Amino acid sequence: MSATGPTPGGKPQVASLNCPGCGAGLTVRSLGNAVTIVCDSCHSILDARDPKLRILQQFRTKTNEDPPLIPLGTRGKIRGVLYEVIGFQRRTIKVEGISYSWHEYVLFNPMKGFRYLTEYEGHWNDLAPLRALPATAPGKSSLTYLGETYNHFQTAQANTTFVLGEFPWQVRVGESVRVSDYVSPPRVISSEGTGNEITWSMGEYMAGRDLWKAFNLEGEPPAPIGVYENQPSPPSANVKGIWKMVGVFVGLMLALFIYFFTTAEDREVFQQSYVFDTSAGGEASFVSNTFKLDGRTSDVELTTSADVDNNWIYVNYALINDDTGHAYDFGREVSYYHGHDSDGSWTEGSTKNRVIVPSVPAGLYYLRIEPESDPYHGSIRYTVTIRRDVPQISLFGIALAALLLPAAFLTWRAMSFEHLRWSESDYGKPPDDGSMVSAIGSMADSLKNSGGGE
Amino acid sequence: MIRQLFFVYGIAVLAVLGFAEYRGWSLNRVDQIPNVPKSVRDNPGSYRSVYGYYHHYTGGK
Repeated sequence: MSATGPTPGGKPQVASLNCPGCGAGLTVRSLGNAVTIVCDSCHSILDARDPKLRILQQFRTKTNEDPPLIPLGTRGKIRGVLYEVIGFQRRTIKVEGISYSWHEYVLFNPMKGFRYLTEYEGHWNDLAPLRALPATAPGKSSLTYLGETYNHFQTAQANTTFVLGEFPWQVRVGESVRVSDYVSPPRVISSEGTGNEITWSMGEYMAGRDLWKAFNLEGEPPAPIGVYENQPSPPSANVKGIWKMVGVFVGLMLALFIYFFTTAEDREVFQQSYVFDTSAGGEASFVSNTFKLDGRTSDVELTTSADVDNNWIYVNYALINDDTGHAYDFGREVSYYHGHDSDGSWTEGSTKNRVIVPSVPAGLYYLRIEPESDPYHGSIRYTVTIRRDVPQISLFGIALAALLLPAAFLTWRAMSFEHLRWSESDYGKPPDDGSMVSAIGSMADSLKNSGGGE
Repeated sequence: MIRQLFFVYGIAVLAVLGFAEYRGWSLNRVDQIPNVPKSVRDNPGSYRSVYGYYHHYTGGK
């Protein structure tokens, strides 16, 4: 074979050889760099270093049973470097009796060497061999590389079940290696080992559509199914930032709270006590004196205090603008009960009731009042107090909920994503890596466990 | 994109909260009736007809 390789960007230069198994013409793309070549006609694995192309193995699987999605010989740019697809293999692992297969593509550039693409159910990874060993700690299920921690995801025995094209190693169908994956999305570090020999590679998740564009392939890439081990999680990427913003907004909300609670008028504009004779019968309705509501359109707080004791009073109110005749109509109950039973003393209700009338414009107002109660319960003394421009804490509660809900939803989505990712691992749940999603996940687990233990 | 959207959303929440506090909004449901006649002051019972119907409370114990 010639030592010259293909010229990037130009037409592929191929050496013309014949398969010693079937006589079919072989297309050799990596020229002198391949260790084995697979004949796509008779599926003979040939020794590329042997001038006679010695047959190393033959297998019966047909190519059309599992054709490469990126045809051999296709060229495309990965990270700005032109590569040609020269090999394709299917590898299979068995987990709990179920076989899972993924595909690996061998890419070659005469100046840059080999690179690999893996594909599993529409999820793609761009892999290259590691030049330095990652740091492992005994007893830890993680490793570090260039300051980044990778969590162990899965270890399995992978078998080569189909090969095609050229490979820079002695490939065989049926060969088995122990594969371990450590993830730090969007990256993955994989180790492949047989005996004491371990090779390390690093992969980065790639979108199928980017590959299709890079290799100028027709049609659409297969849609990804499920969540892959190192697939980046869009919700997780946003969770920390969103919660930081929630913190800032809550701080601003606190500032608003302090502002409104220190600047609100909260001024008493009317107070009057009345006595309702429940035995009197007849029309109980009457109107109050007028009172002035000043300032901007704001709320009005009406408090009814009554000396009810195991009794109730219900008061129909109408807050009527003396000038415009515009009325705010509402009714409030004041009831208070107490007693003793086998469980001890008990109370129910209160002698006070408070209601906020929203957005009342300034003007001269009076109350139309009509009390009701059980007849023949004697006299009930009640006091009506009106305050103007009262700050409301409930609005801050609603605003806080409005801020927390989207952040909580995003966190839940991130946790679901991580749960799906790690459900395929050897562990079933995400590791505590110090992230906010992990912290909330651990909290949720603790709550679940403490609840389940009861 | 989500962070930018959330930033705009958070600003909107704070703006609505500030306006709601300023204008005295409340979750309480209060019926409003326009043009109550002046005669209500002389005959408070007549207000019932203005309201359209009259609710008699049946609460208590």
